[in-house]
Amino acid sequence: MAMVNHKTVIKLENVWKIYKMGEVEVVALCGLSLEIKESEFIVIMGPSGSGKSTAVNMVGCLDIPTKGRILLEGQDISHMEESELAQIRGRKIGFIFQTFNLIPSLTALQNVMLPMVFQDIEKSEREKIASNLLRRVELGDRMRHRPNELSGGQQQRVAIARSLSNNPDIILADEPTGNLDTKTGKVVMDFLHSLQEKEKKTVIVVTHDPTLAKYADKVAYLHDGKIIKLTKR
Amino acid sequence: MKLDYIMYSLNHVKNRKMRSWLTVLSILIGITAIYALVSFGQGLQIYMSELATEMGTDKLMIQPKGAMAAGFDLDFYISKEEADFISKVNGIDEVIGMYAKAIEVEHKKQKKYVFGMSLPTQGKEKDLVYDMFTVSMDQGRELKSGDKLKVTLGYNYQFANKIFSKAINIGDKISINGVSVDVVGFFESLGSAPDDSQVYLTEEGMLLIFPETEDKFQYVFARTAPGEEPSEVAERAEEKLRKFKGQKEGQEDFIIQTFEQAIEVFGTIITVINAVLLLIAMISVVVASVNIMNTMYTAVLERTKEIGVMKAIGAKNIDIMFIFLFEAGLLGLIGGALGILLGYGIAKMGGSIAASAGYGLLQPVFPLWLTIGCLLFAFFVGAFSGLMPARQASKLKPVDALRYE
Repeated sequence: MAMVNHKTVIKLENVWKIYKMGEVEVVALCGLSLEIKESEFIVIMGPSGSGKSTAVNMVGCLDIPTKGRILLEGQDISHMEESELAQIRGRKIGFIFQTFNLIPSLTALQNVMLPMVFQDIEKSEREKIASNLLRRVELGDRMRHRPNELSGGQQQRVAIARSLSNNPDIILADEPTGNLDTKTGKVVMDFLHSLQEKEKKTVIVVTHDPTLAKYADKVAYLHDGKIIKLTKR
Repeated sequence: MKLDYIMYSLNHVKNRKMRSWLTVLSILIGITAIYALVSFGQGLQIYMSELATEMGTDKLMIQPKGAMAAGFDLDFYISKEEADFISKVNGIDEVIGMYAKAIEVEHKKQKKYVFGMSLPTQGKEKDLVYDMFTVSMDQGRELKSGDKLKVTLGYNYQFANKIFSKAINIGDKISINGVSVDVVGFFESLGSAPDDSQVYLTEEGMLLIFPETEDKFQYVFARTAPGEEPSEVAERAEEKLRKFKGQKEGQEDFIIQTFEQAIEVFGTIITVINAVLLLIAMISVVVASVNIMNTMYTAVLERTKEIGVMKAIGAKNIDIMFIFLFEAGLLGLIGGALGILLGYGIAKMGGSIAASAGYGLLQPVFPLWLTIGCLLFAFFVGAFSGLMPARQASKLKPVDALRYE
């Protein structure tokens, strides 16, 4: 696979994250550095307690580091206000969670439309985009269903559609197959793979499941808050 | 604006039926009370201003001070001499004194205690009285001079079971404190039960049956001259009569006021009662507000993870704030809307109770501003109660909220 001259999308430079739990300081990340390039499929792997979740939060602009810098498309986000971060997340990053995290009171269509509501996109436009996305994940006949009327695999497909609704460059998936059976998990991973292949999206998958490594261009192994091994294919 | 929050909030209110209803119920009670009370207060004001215009704004009322009600106690009165004195005050055109007394009326062996009043039968004096009480005869004829043992009766006497168990007809004989008199007419309804159960005699008739009332007017009315300001004339007359009677200011045994002033006093009392009831209703709104706050805190707690998800997919703090504020406002609005419906029903019911008690003119009114005001008030009480929970929700860190189970 040609990887020449792709520009860097996300760059973590010597990132530290220290949580204060009462009197005790817990170091979750200690000097994590990572570079993720445009339309790359990267898998961040590590056992529980390795700082994986914290790394997701950093990459996803959900939290800011105690020390170090995070650059998103060259822009330093390390000291940004929460509302600025929210704007960036909404426009540039699509989230997929292990537990799907759909809003239970909303229909599949409304769930997919929600990120666009926060970006002030017009209703008719939202509806068009959302229904197209749902058809793409083969849920065209489930638009008016609520999450509890859908299977796990279907819910995760709605979540994928939702992650794409603002057409972000980056898809960040945190254990996307963790709550799915092997077969459904494969469907989800294949879809994420096709996003990279066909739409040149940057896909970041965080997991402890080694079998997902086969989709990746790059695998980063995380241990005790830093990357201990980086393999490229 | 993010009108799409409405959809989100509505869904939530619908999905938490029981809790939403209980919260809505708490604000509904307060709004019901406010709506019903204010609609009655408004009706009362209209009733009183109608009454004042009906009586005419050029009239003065001179009453003995201290009497419970005219005619109860003959120790309180305005004498003929005083009435004559008032008629000579600058700015007063004419004066009429009327006798009134609590009397015993007997019909078919049944006795009732009501008020008897003397009516003038001719001249300017008659015009003055009939000008104030704009009702005319419902049946029969008016009293005329020489009618010593003839009476006219209030509206309610014509019907069975209103005052007496048997209805009275024109030409019937009734007995007043043991003296038999002929009934010659009935007045139209004056709109209140006490007014519609009065007995009217001529002055001669009154003095014949109750000689002790002579020279002791219970009501004295005066008409001010055209172009005069009635309230100024009232003040002037009061001052002159005070000097005439040798009384000090503030210690008079009489009051002279315009009809508007007289009604105002009555109106103030009702307004105060209404205000006290409104205050109680407001307390219930405060309780409702605490209840909404509690519901919203629970909602924020319950949906912590949802808040985290929404923040992850791009919701700014202010978006989250609006969502919860709007939801709280919606609870208030629904409570307000239902409260208005219920309040309308209760006020209507109160109106028909008042009507059946003989106060047919006292009816609640429902101006548009009251309805819109109540709706807005309910919405803002809701939103205000949701302010702190919404702030808490908006301040949640996305990372912490997402991790919340």
